[in-house]
Amino acid sequence: MTVDPNAATQSFPPRPPAAGGPSAARYLVPAFVAAAVALALGVYGKVHDPAGTAFNLAGFSSTGAVKSWLATTAFGFALVQVVSALMVYGKLPGPSWSATLHRWSGRIAFLVAVPVAVHCLYAFGFQTYDSRVIWHSLLGCFVFGVFSAKMLLLRWDRLPGWLLPVVGGLLFTVLTLVWLTSALWFFRTFGVTT
Amino acid sequence: MKRTGPLFTLLAGLLLALFMLSLNATTGTKPAATYQAGPPADKASPSPAPTATKASPSPSPSASPSRAPAPNADYAGRTDDDSSAVSVSLRDGRAIAYFCDGRDKESWLRGDVGADGSMKLTGGGGSVLNGTLKGRSIRGTVDLGGGHYAFTADKAVKPSGLYRATATVRKATIDGGWIVLSTGEQVGILTRDGKPSPAPRIDPETGAVTIDGRRLTARPVTP
Repeated sequence: MTVDPNAATQSFPPRPPAAGGPSAARYLVPAFVAAAVALALGVYGKVHDPAGTAFNLAGFSSTGAVKSWLATTAFGFALVQVVSALMVYGKLPGPSWSATLHRWSGRIAFLVAVPVAVHCLYAFGFQTYDSRVIWHSLLGCFVFGVFSAKMLLLRWDRLPGWLLPVVGGLLFTVLTLVWLTSALWFFRTFGVTT
Repeated sequence: MKRTGPLFTLLAGLLLALFMLSLNATTGTKPAATYQAGPPADKASPSPAPTATKASPSPSPSASPSRAPAPNADYAGRTDDDSSAVSVSLRDGRAIAYFCDGRDKESWLRGDVGADGSMKLTGGGGSVLNGTLKGRSIRGTVDLGGGHYAFTADKAVKPSGLYRATATVRKATIDGGWIVLSTGEQVGILTRDGKPSPAPRIDPETGAVTIDGRRLTARPVTP
């Protein structure tokens, strides 16, 4: 599992795919899965009957507060992701374990974000009643599609060097927008409460 | 080389999501029936069986034993003549409803919901609401002040629903009721010391409303 991350970055511009078969699948499969995941989440949110409520965690005043803090945690780990990625690519000085840091902070961010998404889709669904909500619904579905694509891309060596940084950057950007349109909005509207 | 770590990450997320969903479906305040009916795509079918609950022996084998009364939910809609709005909130077999024409006619009604989804709610001035919950909507009539209004109220998802704010502002007793429809439209009446008038808009997200210079919060109404 330990790979010199710099090795992959040295083939720029990307070599054309050597043989048609597996190389094309490398990009097409993740792209297809990303689209399918995003679409499936959106369709589920739109079609299923929003419950309006779901279970809450003890110690929090509302599910909105729980979700906002979970989302903020995920966003915090996403910031760690950016910094550790820069270390992995040697753009910042970093410890030898920066790759491990990158992997695990990413996993935690993802696993923390999943319950938030489940609650959103189960209780609220895909809504369009104002622009903040439309953007949040769209990007919320999209972000899990991008994440799936990134995970699948990671399985391959010798990707074009720019690809992972671009997908990772996209992931961070979208997650930030999702956070801005939900948790930040929540804290600004209801105050920073637990 | 193919790495498996990322796949495990995705799998873990998927399992966590499924776990949370099952937790929601079995412990949520909402009856499990509608949720367990099948994969998401099946939910589009407006099958009345799971939501109407127990009167008809539900065909869904996974539904929790149908002891619970009508599902906890809010409903909002208009009267057939489009003059007024009606919203009903159901919680644990009890209901509160609000009828409002947005100008001067309003009534709060309360009562119980039968196991078959039928309800007869009564309010001040001899007003009566008869309705039946069927699938995702309540169909019924309201008799109020000599008028007879048929209505259909569909299941409302936040921020649509029923809101109320009461306060004392400059020695006047303020009582405001709002129905926020799924279109975002609001129908509300503000009563100052018993005198009804059209209500200002509330912010449906937060319930914030400014009345006579004072900022109040309209809250969702439950029985």
